[in-house]
Amino acid sequence: MTTAQLTSLFPNDVLARCERLRINPLRRRTNHSRGEHHAGKGGASTEFADYRDYSPGDDVRYVDWNIFARTGDPFLKLYKHEEEMHVVLLVDGSQSMQFEGKFDLARQLAAAFGVMGLLNVERVSGYATKSGMGAIAMLPSCRGRVSLRKMLAFFEGLEGGGAFTVDDMIEQALKRHSGKGVCVIVSDFLTTGDLTRPFNRLHSAGLEIYALQILGPTEMDPELTGDLRFVDSETGQTLDVSSVGELLGLYHEHRRGLADHIATLCRQRQGRFLSLSSADDIQTVLFDQLLRRGWVR
Amino acid sequence: MNWLPGITTPAAAWLFALLVPLVVFYFLKLKRTRVEIPSLALWLSVIEDQRVNSPFQKFKRNLLLLLQVAVLCLLALAAMQPFVRGRSQRAEHLPILIDCSASMAATDDQGRSRLDLVKQQVREIITNLLSGQRLTLVAVSDSAQRLTEFTDNQRVLLDALNRIRVREVEGNLEEGLQLAQALARSFQIDAVRFYSDGNLPLRPDETGRQVAGVNFDLPFELQFHRIDPGGANIGITAFTARRSGPERWDVFVRVEGSDAGQTAAGVELLAGGVPVGDDTIILEAGQSQRIVFTYDSADAASLEVRLRPDGPDSLAADNVAWLDLPVSRPLSVYCPLELAAYRHSLSGLGGIELLPTGGRDPQRALYDLVIADDLAQADQEAQTFLFIGVVPADLSSLISIGTGLAQVVDWKRDDPLLQHVMFQDVEITDQPTLAEGVDEGDIESLGYEILVQGNTGPLVLRRREGRIASVYLLFHTDRSTLPYRVGFPVLVSNVVGLARDQAELSDVRGIATGVLPELQVPSKAAVDVRTPSGQSLSVLPDAEGTLKGIAAHEVGQYDIRQEGQTIRRVGAGLLSATETSLWGVEEIQFRELTVGASDQPVSTDKPLWSYLAYAAFVFLLVEWWVFLRRPGGEAA
Repeated sequence: MTTAQLTSLFPNDVLARCERLRINPLRRRTNHSRGEHHAGKGGASTEFADYRDYSPGDDVRYVDWNIFARTGDPFLKLYKHEEEMHVVLLVDGSQSMQFEGKFDLARQLAAAFGVMGLLNVERVSGYATKSGMGAIAMLPSCRGRVSLRKMLAFFEGLEGGGAFTVDDMIEQALKRHSGKGVCVIVSDFLTTGDLTRPFNRLHSAGLEIYALQILGPTEMDPELTGDLRFVDSETGQTLDVSSVGELLGLYHEHRRGLADHIATLCRQRQGRFLSLSSADDIQTVLFDQLLRRGWVR
Repeated sequence: MNWLPGITTPAAAWLFALLVPLVVFYFLKLKRTRVEIPSLALWLSVIEDQRVNSPFQKFKRNLLLLLQVAVLCLLALAAMQPFVRGRSQRAEHLPILIDCSASMAATDDQGRSRLDLVKQQVREIITNLLSGQRLTLVAVSDSAQRLTEFTDNQRVLLDALNRIRVREVEGNLEEGLQLAQALARSFQIDAVRFYSDGNLPLRPDETGRQVAGVNFDLPFELQFHRIDPGGANIGITAFTARRSGPERWDVFVRVEGSDAGQTAAGVELLAGGVPVGDDTIILEAGQSQRIVFTYDSADAASLEVRLRPDGPDSLAADNVAWLDLPVSRPLSVYCPLELAAYRHSLSGLGGIELLPTGGRDPQRALYDLVIADDLAQADQEAQTFLFIGVVPADLSSLISIGTGLAQVVDWKRDDPLLQHVMFQDVEITDQPTLAEGVDEGDIESLGYEILVQGNTGPLVLRRREGRIASVYLLFHTDRSTLPYRVGFPVLVSNVVGLARDQAELSDVRGIATGVLPELQVPSKAAVDVRTPSGQSLSVLPDAEGTLKGIAAHEVGQYDIRQEGQTIRRVGAGLLSATETSLWGVEEIQFRELTVGASDQPVSTDKPLWSYLAYAAFVFLLVEWWVFLRRPGGEAA
């Protein structure tokens, strides 16, 4: 007897393992709303944090009467405050992602992060580009296990295409979003635009950047030679290149340079960056690479 | 020397015109493959970076075109057949004379023969043959043999070169030069190239210095290229026997060493394959030594002498020689009773059967010596004739015998026939006189050799016709004071000695290679001659059953067979002091000029087309590699 799959994005066992993981941000970026994350300041949770002198006007319910009985001085018991964290999932669905399973892996990763967020009572919202100029698909902010099907259906139903760049996508998402937390960006980051500004805006919006670059195997290690005419899948623009084989060394330098550049942008904003191949298995990425790097725990 | 390379076929330069369609077709046919990629972002930055940093971007962009242009240029240049000019003058028709006499088989320390070294040099010339050049190869030994026509076909020339083998005979350069001279009548020949070790017969010049003299007027330039002589050598240069008693022979073996160093060998004498004498000999450089063996036999015997070199020996052909001893018998001499003076002198010599005796003489079909004063006696069968007071029939119109006192002007004192015979003050009343307008040259042109010259004409003549030697005294000794001179019995003794030599009764010499001596065979049927190497020659004897002119180019024993039966076995040895010495001359003296030897290999024109073709092939491979190679760069 086979169990029905909850989602077509990944099997149930992967889903089950994802449910046991939680996102591990470098900084506490939480909202004032009550949540599962301990805030730096005192709160009303059951977990003891510290003592302080009583000040007039404090709630007398928090006075530690045992200490008052021994010393005669009122001390106030402080408890940790638990706040919610917002998980923003950005999926690049442009035409450049429609190669070699890049978009599929992007949807899987975004859904996995969404599962982690919802199952840990975070607030999750999603944004993805789709075909058509200026169009962007949106998953409204949701929370809890009850939103799991909704979130999975959103990423299952995504259709890629179009020439939406990743920086435009970030701009569009920030117009609709508010709240601190983590912003997971899944894209190939193959854009001629400058990512500095959108990354600055993400940082200033209180979002820790989780940048995941997905490249196809032929982008990682192209096997090309001779005189070729390259055609851009998004714009249709062409580029004649002679003796491509001669330039592959330079290509690899530039590919690594792009990855280093994005990683630097992320690091400068207390973010994280990881470059993946679309040939990588989702389980390997989630339970090996991300776990070992401390992205999740 | 002009360092600029020459061009043999400049007309092939039109091939460079193919560059135009090559370039046109390259750009017309250049069709780029369309490859759709996710984004141009990376490639745009790559191209931008390449434009900034790569000064050879245009070169790289059209690398295939440049390689194709290079291939075409190299092929066009190869078709033009450029060549590097050599030091030697270029000749269109060049005869190459290759010495293949016995000394060319001499080996050096590395075991290479002289002929092998010559072949190596000539092979290089053939391989580098330029268009328009034609060679002919001539093998020179005791005779000259043209191996190819004038040709530029390298296969034919190389085949002919590979066929050249050493002939174990003495060399004779004159034969080769005469052949080249004959070729010069049909072709424009400016130079003849001669490859040899310089082992040529020596003779003293005016100053007494030993030089290699060739009696020849050079109508062309002779380029003499000398190969270094071989290493140390020891060999037999003479093998003779002299009768020292009725049943005893003294056998003489002369052994010589080359100049290369001290040599030593054991000398073994065999009779019918059975050892009869043995000795050891050690020679300093260039020395020779004679060894005497005594051999007792009244019967015919075949002697063989062998050298066992003790140390390096460059030449093997001179380590063996053969000699056939005849049966011991008295010399049969016919001398009429009227010639009393001669009979008196003959009676004092031993080992002679003098006929007629005046009684009942046995009928003889063959005499060894006939002495007569009548030309009718010439009909007798003999190997040696002495005619007294007789003018040969073919000279009767040139010489008349007059009356008067003839005076001896000169005579050949060193001739064996006249040794110790003094004609000075001999009174001769017969006066042989040359006819009007006739000189000594006319006599010699008929095959006569003048031994004694008188004031009006020759007095004594000698003529050899095949195996027959005839001596003519044109005056009758009875009408001269010669019989009263001490020299007369000496003259008779010398004639007897000549007859003994002719009959091979006293001195026997080993047979040298070249041409076998005339041989008598029982019948006139075809004779099969088997050479030492196993080759078979068919020879027909002449009307008298004599075999003549059998070439013997190999050292060894020749089987003479007739009707399936071996009738005789003749051994021929090298027996040449010149060849054994391995001496190489520095120059060759011709009648009017002297040609020096060059030890340096010939610097000929070297064609470059093959190198260019190889380079074009390499460029083609590079182009193919560039076209098909797997992408470079590093994997992530």
